[in-house]
Parts: sequence; C-alpha cells; structure tokens
Amino acid sequence: MTTQVREIPHKVNIATSGLLSWIMTVDHKRIGILYLFSAFIFFLVGGIEALLMRIQLAQPDNKFLSPDVYNQIFTMHGTTMIFLVVMPLAAGFGNYLVPLMIGARDMAFPKLNALSYWTYLFGGVFMYSSFAFGGAPNDGWFSYAPLTEKAFSPTHGMDFWVMGILMLGLATTIGSINFIVTIIQLRAPGMTLTKLPLFVWTTFVTSFLAVFSLPSLTTAVLLLLLDRQLGSHFYNTAEGGSALLWQHLFWFFGHPEVYILILPAMGIVSMVIPVFSSKPLFGYPAVVFSTIAIGFLGFTVWAHHMFATGMPTASLLFFSADSFLIGVPTGVKIFAWLGTMWKGKLRFMTPMLFSIGFVALFLIGGLDGIHLAVVPVDWQITDSYYVVAHIHYVLFGGAIFGIFSGIYYWFPKMTGRLLGESLGKWHFWLMFIGMNMVFMPMHVLGLEGMPRRIYTYGPGRGWEIWNFIETIGAAIIAISVFIFVVNFFLTMLRAPTHHESDPWDGFTLEWTTSSPPPNYNFAEIPTVRSRRPLWDKKHPELADWKEETA
Amino acid sequence: MNSMTSAHPMSKASTGKLALFITLGTESVFFVTLLVAYIALRDSVTWNVPHTWTRLTIPLLNTVVLLVSVLLAWLSGAAIRRDNKSALKSNLLTTILLGLFFVAGQIYEFSHAGLHINDSSFGGVFFTLMGFHALHVLAGVVFLGLNYVRASLGDFSAQQHEAVELGVLFWYYVAAVWLVLFVALYLV
Repeated sequence: MTTQVREIPHKVNIATSGLLSWIMTVDHKRIGILYLFSAFIFFLVGGIEALLMRIQLAQPDNKFLSPDVYNQIFTMHGTTMIFLVVMPLAAGFGNYLVPLMIGARDMAFPKLNALSYWTYLFGGVFMYSSFAFGGAPNDGWFSYAPLTEKAFSPTHGMDFWVMGILMLGLATTIGSINFIVTIIQLRAPGMTLTKLPLFVWTTFVTSFLAVFSLPSLTTAVLLLLLDRQLGSHFYNTAEGGSALLWQHLFWFFGHPEVYILILPAMGIVSMVIPVFSSKPLFGYPAVVFSTIAIGFLGFTVWAHHMFATGMPTASLLFFSADSFLIGVPTGVKIFAWLGTMWKGKLRFMTPMLFSIGFVALFLIGGLDGIHLAVVPVDWQITDSYYVVAHIHYVLFGGAIFGIFSGIYYWFPKMTGRLLGESLGKWHFWLMFIGMNMVFMPMHVLGLEGMPRRIYTYGPGRGWEIWNFIETIGAAIIAISVFIFVVNFFLTMLRAPTHHESDPWDGFTLEWTTSSPPPNYNFAEIPTVRSRRPLWDKKHPELADWKEETA
Repeated sequence: MNSMTSAHPMSKASTGKLALFITLGTESVFFVTLLVAYIALRDSVTWNVPHTWTRLTIPLLNTVVLLVSVLLAWLSGAAIRRDNKSALKSNLLTTILLGLFFVAGQIYEFSHAGLHINDSSFGGVFFTLMGFHALHVLAGVVFLGLNYVRASLGDFSAQQHEAVELGVLFWYYVAAVWLVLFVALYLV
C-alpha cells in the first residue's frame, strides 16, 4: 500500500455544481451538509407534530385530533426526533468535522458514506409514506409487542415502521463503522488518542454504542415482522411467545441509544465552552474517561425501563444502583464544563449561550433521571408525564441545545458566513423560555398522575392550567425556530466576508483550513503536537505542547 | 483505497480488516440476541420439538462439509501468499461449491424437518436462526465468488490480496456461527 500524504489528490467528480453534484457526491463535507439539511427538514416536521399534539391537549375534552390520528402523530413525533433528527444531525456534524478535526482528507470509505446517507433518507421518506398507505405507525416510538402484533395493530403502519427502522439501523451501522475506522486509521501525524478533540472522542464512543446496540433492535423488529407477516409466535403470549422478550431486546438497544443521542451533543459543548472561555478544556482526561465509562455503563442499565414489569428484587436493586452509578461520569462532565468556564475570559455569543443552556437543562434532565432510578418512585410515576419531562430535558434541552450550539459555532466553517448574532440571541432566549414552559409543568402533571400518550383528559383534575401553559410554551419554541430559519436565509443571502473564516478564534484543526475548506481539506497534512494545534500556531511562545511535554 | 484516504502513517492495522472485524462484531450481537430469544422461548407451552429431531444425518454431514470448506479457504489464502494463483483459484472454487452444497442441504433439511415457522415457538426460532445463518453463507459465497472472478482477471498477487484475506476471514466466521447453532439447536 502506498501512502501519498503530501500530494494533493484528485477526486473524481462527475459533476462539480448543481443538483447532480450533490446527488453524486462522496465528499464528507457535502454528505455532512446533506445530513444536516435533511435532518433539519425532519426536525420541522417532528416539530409540527408536537404542535398538533399541544393544540389537542391545550384544553380538556378537545376534539382537534381524533384518538386514532393522535396515536399516529405521537408515534411519528418520537420516531422522527430520535431516528430522523438527532441521530442524523450528529452524523452530519461527524461527517463534516471528524476528518477536518483529525487532519484527514476524507472518511475511510467515502462511497459507503454516501450509501449511509441515502439509506437514511430513503428510510425516513419510506416511513412517512405510510400516511398515504392506510395510516402511520401508531403504537409509540418503542412499539411494545404484543400491542404491535397484527391482531391489535391491523393497519400496515407497524410494517412500515419495522422496515423503516431496519433501513435506518443499516444506515447508522454503516456510518458508525466508517467513523471508527476513520478515527483509528486516518489521524494526522502526532494526533494521538490523548490529543483527539472531544467531539471526535464522543463520535468514536457513540459509533461503538451504535454498532453493538443496534443489532438488538434489528432482532426485535425482525421477529415482530415475522410474527406479523409469517405468523410466528415470538411475542404472541397466547401461543407461548414472550411479551418481555420485546422489552428486553428493545431496551438493550434503547438505553445505549439515549447515549448515542446525547454524547455527540456533549462533544459539541466540550468544543465550544473552551473556545468561548479562552481556556483549554478543564480535566480533559477525566472527560474522555467519563465518556468511555458512560459508553460501557450504558449497556448495563436497560432494565431500568422495565421496573414496573415485575422483576425479582435482586434485579431491581442491581439496575437501580447501576443507574445511579451512571450519574457519576455524567456529573464529572458537568464539573469539567464549569471548571473550564471558571475564571475564563467568557464571551457570551450565541454558540456559548446554547452550550450553557445545554449544561443547565441537561442537569435538570439528569436529576429527573436519578428520581426515576429509585424503584418505588418509578412505580408511582412510570408512564406518566414525569417521564416525558425527563426525556425532553435530556433530549431537547440536552441534545437539541447542544446541536444548535454546534450549528451556530460551525456555520461559518461550512459557509464562510456568520449567522446573525442578535437574531441568534432571540432564538436562544425564546427557545430557552419556551422549552421550560413546555416541559417544567410536565413534572407537576406527572406527579398529579397524568398518564403519557392520552389524547385528551377530563376537566376538574387540576391539569388544565399546566396543559395550557405548555401549549403557549410550544408556540414560543415554534417562533424561536422560525427566527432561526429567517436568520439562516438572511445570512445566506448576503456575501461572505473575509474575517468570518475563523470568527471565534478557534483552537482545533478544522479552523486551520479556509472556510469552507477546499475539496481535499489540507494541502499538506498537518503535524499535531498538542490538543490545541491552532492555538499553538497563533501563539508559538505560549504553545500548549511546551507545557504538555514539560 | 485511494490517495484521498491514505492511512495514518503510524497505523499498522489494515483498514479493510478493521472494518470487517467491527462488522463481524455487530453481526455477533445480532446472533447472540437471536439466541437470547431461543433461550427465552424454550420453556414455552408451544415449544414442540419434532420427534424426528434426533435424526442428525444432514446436520452432521453439513458440519463436515463446512469444516472441510474452511480448510480449503485457509489453503486459498496460503496459496496467494506464496503467489500460487492457480491453487488460489481451485481452492476458492471448491470452497464455493461446498458452500452451495451446504445451502442445498439446509434447504432439504428445512423442507423435510416436519416443522413450519408458524406452528410452534421452536419452529419460529429454528427458521429464524437457521435462515439468517444460511443467508450469511450465501453472502460468503458471493464474497468468495467475486474474489474468484478477480483472481481469474489476475487482480491478486503475493503482495496485494487483501480481499482474499477478508473473504477467508468471513468464511471462518460463518463456520464458527454454524458450530454454535448446531450445538444449540441439535445437541443441547
């Protein structure tokens, strides 16, 4: 095998501009942008679904949506946000940034990278086409069998769901293998594992989680498909099947999935906070080890989603204690981010605001998780709105805020243009306020006994006021997203300026290239001597490597 | 591998092997979770293993066929390392034929087992595990077949034959999974 590291390579491009150039592309930056763009469209769709639900729940005995439509809407909202929005947004950032951050010219397998994207897009469109073929899936994003068996779910919705999930799982598996191989094989000279940017680390661990947890989901949905289409009895309890089998298989995937969704956002925040605090990340090794620890522990806590299924006491104790344990590495990270900001020269620009919002909201969601890990508490509030509050604090307050932080931070890298700062601040504050208005009252509703997934509720239970506030909050979030879209178009319509190529005074290799970078990224593969190669270049007298090697 | 993606100058691992090992890792979790389903359903009321199940003729024959094919696959890799291209081709071809023989044997067994996917829990588990394994054997046959075509075109040499190594590794994996399934479904 020949290594031609110093020669600028020629990529074979069938088309260099226009629509065809995007369809045919195998360039990691373009595939990254395709991922981000498609996932954002799905984000708008999933958001509209959320708004429909909030309108329906705004007052008791509302007739806005029928129960049947409501079931389809909440199922598609959850499925969309998890599989079609947060995972591909993370994949989009990973595709765009990982090769740039490690000093490589592309991913290890550029064609597989394109295959992964198109499989994802097709899987998403396929799932949504179910609305046109007799009804969307309607049993919730975790599709508990035997409720999803043909006898109880006779439309084709579940079949669309199963086949869509198989495609999305395939896309993620291919993408993850590509990330792992790229990160192991294509690092620039000197880029040892201890110098890897945190976002690369979290993508690395996330990819392992996906590769080893998704097969469990594949098995779960395949067996369901066989039950539904060929009449086998895996989940059919009347014929000796097992209902718990689904839950175990699903959650053995489902809990690592939670970390698949949150770790990339943690990686983004760990890149943004140091730059806007003008300090290196505090406790880098501790953050890396806690990422790895979360990865391992994530595989051992799945049954805490099943406390109410009647498990033996020993299992309850194990899964409860284990779930507390996972709070430790998470807490380590929170302190590392605070430690980075401590005595730093803070700049409260939009990316930083979203990162700080992430830390605050994710902390609340994490503490809710600790409540739910207490078995007797979980027995009381499981399947109530308390759980809905918890997942949205970690996935909306956590993952989505982290991702918006990344969008504002790397937008100049991808386009050469800086998103408008004042509209950005409006976006952040409205989203932060709206988010808390929607999800904070859900804690109260959960404690007052409002079950999740009901399409309406009767008056006089004290739930009206909270539900009404939540609907107002949802409208505020919608306005904030609209402001972001306006900001995007205003920014793209004006010409880029020169000073916008490294507007944040960044630390890592992606900012050493032009914005946007050339096709081949690096004319000469850089040599790395510390965790902040660009800082070293800008401040040779204060270079990190002098300290790190001393 | 093209010049866009030259490996890390310090990395000694083969990019293809790394990708294959991770793929086999994810495949293994898939088979393990299917085996978990098998264990979970064993005690169910409709388990119903057919009486004819003690007839091990075809499964045993297939085990021998697959083990011989593994030996031949190994020999094909050894041949190209010594730059012996004709031995590579003949060994690959016999491996492929034995693989097809194995699949034919499986199909015969499936149709004569007195068992259907929907008539008992055992039927469901049996056909799912065996069916997915058989699909992997076919995938291996395709993999080795492509290598055979490339070998005929003179693509491989003692220095450059990564695809051969990967195909052989995949074949080992398929055989290893079979041994586990054979023990689990017929012997235990």
